[in-house]
Amino acid sequence: MIEAAQLRKEYRMGQSVVHALDGVDLRIESGEFLSITGPSGSGKSTLMHILGCLDRPTAGSLRFEGQVISALGDKQLARIRNRHIGFVFQTFNLIQRTTALENVCVPLVYTRRSFARATARAALERVGLAHRAKHKPSEMSGGECQRVAIARALVNRPTLILADEPTGNLDTRTGEQIMQIFRDLHAEGITILLVTHELNVAVQAHRMIQMRDGRILEDTAVDEAHRAEIRTLTYDAHQRVFEARGASKPAPAKAAPESAIGGRKEPRPA
Amino acid sequence: MFHLRIAMTALHSLRQNLARSMLATLGVIIGVGAVVCAISILEGAQSEILDEFESLGADQVIVFNGSERGQHRTAVSSSLLPEDADLIKKENPELIVATSPQFSQFAQVKNYEKNVATGVLGSTEAYAPMNNYLVTEGRFITREDVRGGAMVCVLGYKVAEDLFGALPAVDKHVKIDGKSFIVVGVMEEKGTLGFTEVDSQVIIPLSTAMGRMFGSRHLSMMVVQCTDTQHLPACVEAVKKTLRASHRIKAGDDADFVVFTQERFKDTFAQASRIFAVVLYSIACISLVVGGIGIMNIMLVSVTERTREIGVRIAVGARRMDIAKQFLIEASVISLLGGAVGVVVGWAIASFLGEFLQVFQSYTPPMSIVLALLLAGVVGIASGLYPAVRAARLDPIRSLRYE
Repeated sequence: MIEAAQLRKEYRMGQSVVHALDGVDLRIESGEFLSITGPSGSGKSTLMHILGCLDRPTAGSLRFEGQVISALGDKQLARIRNRHIGFVFQTFNLIQRTTALENVCVPLVYTRRSFARATARAALERVGLAHRAKHKPSEMSGGECQRVAIARALVNRPTLILADEPTGNLDTRTGEQIMQIFRDLHAEGITILLVTHELNVAVQAHRMIQMRDGRILEDTAVDEAHRAEIRTLTYDAHQRVFEARGASKPAPAKAAPESAIGGRKEPRPA
Repeated sequence: MFHLRIAMTALHSLRQNLARSMLATLGVIIGVGAVVCAISILEGAQSEILDEFESLGADQVIVFNGSERGQHRTAVSSSLLPEDADLIKKENPELIVATSPQFSQFAQVKNYEKNVATGVLGSTEAYAPMNNYLVTEGRFITREDVRGGAMVCVLGYKVAEDLFGALPAVDKHVKIDGKSFIVVGVMEEKGTLGFTEVDSQVIIPLSTAMGRMFGSRHLSMMVVQCTDTQHLPACVEAVKKTLRASHRIKAGDDADFVVFTQERFKDTFAQASRIFAVVLYSIACISLVVGGIGIMNIMLVSVTERTREIGVRIAVGARRMDIAKQFLIEASVISLLGGAVGVVVGWAIASFLGEFLQVFQSYTPPMSIVLALLLAGVVGIASGLYPAVRAARLDPIRSLRYE
């Protein structure tokens, strides 16, 4: 589905040049469920934006379902984003002044199917929010907002869903519900790419890519054993933070091992 | 469909910021209002006042008190005497058929408890035939009435109706400012003659008006009937010559009277309405520019406020052109709504002025509404262009992270 070779992305920051991506080779097959992790600044978001045809690489080649992306114009990229790709963001990015249903309709406007309400309603139903169609984002919980955002990503039946920290703004239980939706979508054959720095979220994918400084550090298949390992690891990390807090000392910054940075956010064991 | 959908989105976001949008579009409202108001007044005045000028008669010369400075008439002291009217006719028999000296004043006219405040015109027997103005009951004022200063009056159609209803008015008494008059006739329904609504006017002999009633030595004005429209210029000259001689005005000095003809009224009116139009159109231009800037301002704010939304729209497949269109359409919708409000405001002001001044009826031609809305649309597109381009050029990734 996606073939990327030697992707580079450089930003100019005043005098210096930042290499956000420094030669990334990546191949994603249709129907995969993979996650990209890494600390902030590792280039995972940049990679996601480029894979999602929202940004262009400075160098390197990218093919999306056989099409050479770098050869395409603005219009064609917009068309690919509209028909084949769905984005889910950490902050939901819903349009606040309109209802859930209207929000789900937004991609349809650009498919020139402005009034295909039924399609939008079906997408909302799929994330279990049909009863909230007329509510505005401000009247819904974070979890519901994220489900609306997923419905929006789904409305044009994309082949690929890109999710950037989809559980980052949610509590653990709601985050788990969202992850369940992604698992269901994957089961229906949609390719899912999760970007997260929470390891316990990342291991729920079937393939995990770790990034550092604009490069792929590790690209591994995730199995049950791996998941269990991460679970205990994060549990240990939580435990240590918890104990540190219990002793009324400020939590030491490096209490958690580096591979379990994701554990820092939730200082309580699940 | 797509554009309709975007227009609906625009309307929606407008409703969210109604007060703000209204303020932004105030300039357009004023500008379009001024245009519509100007056109309505000018059109209405043109058709109606020009009609009245026509009723003055193309073969009549009207003389007022006052002196001229350039083209403009300035009312100074009165100078026209009843004798001037006779003199003009006597000295120019080949040019002038008749003269109608007039003196008018407002007064209270009463028939017992019924009373009307109306214009009282003192005139001679020449007034009615000169204006093709007929009596329906009784008779008009005669030469003898004028000579003798008789206490008789002829009622305008509406006055008779107000004071006597369906009953005959002839031979009845009315009181004008407390003095008793016999009604000798009732005039036909005529509407307006020149600038007066003759239907609500009472006519009495000139001598009675200037003597017993109001005590004045000078006429209000005088109408001179020319033998032929062809002779009008000669007639004007003759009137001027006679009056200058009679008023003992030296060559080179300003006259103490002003001579008007239908043509000159039209010219004067055309000039006045041109000035009026220029003033209103200037206001309209300035307002529209200011309105355009206001809309541009509000659109720039809107682009900034909705940076994230723009990012999302691009992410879900909007082309840059679509984003630009959205803001362009939104600016046009604001402007067009302002234009629509402006049309109503302009029309209302023009109608109110028409009602209030009673001089003309305003008339808003449909084309002027189309023109005004077109203007508003152009302003909207012009002022939405820059914000739209800015919105379209936003970097989607940065926009998505914009706080």
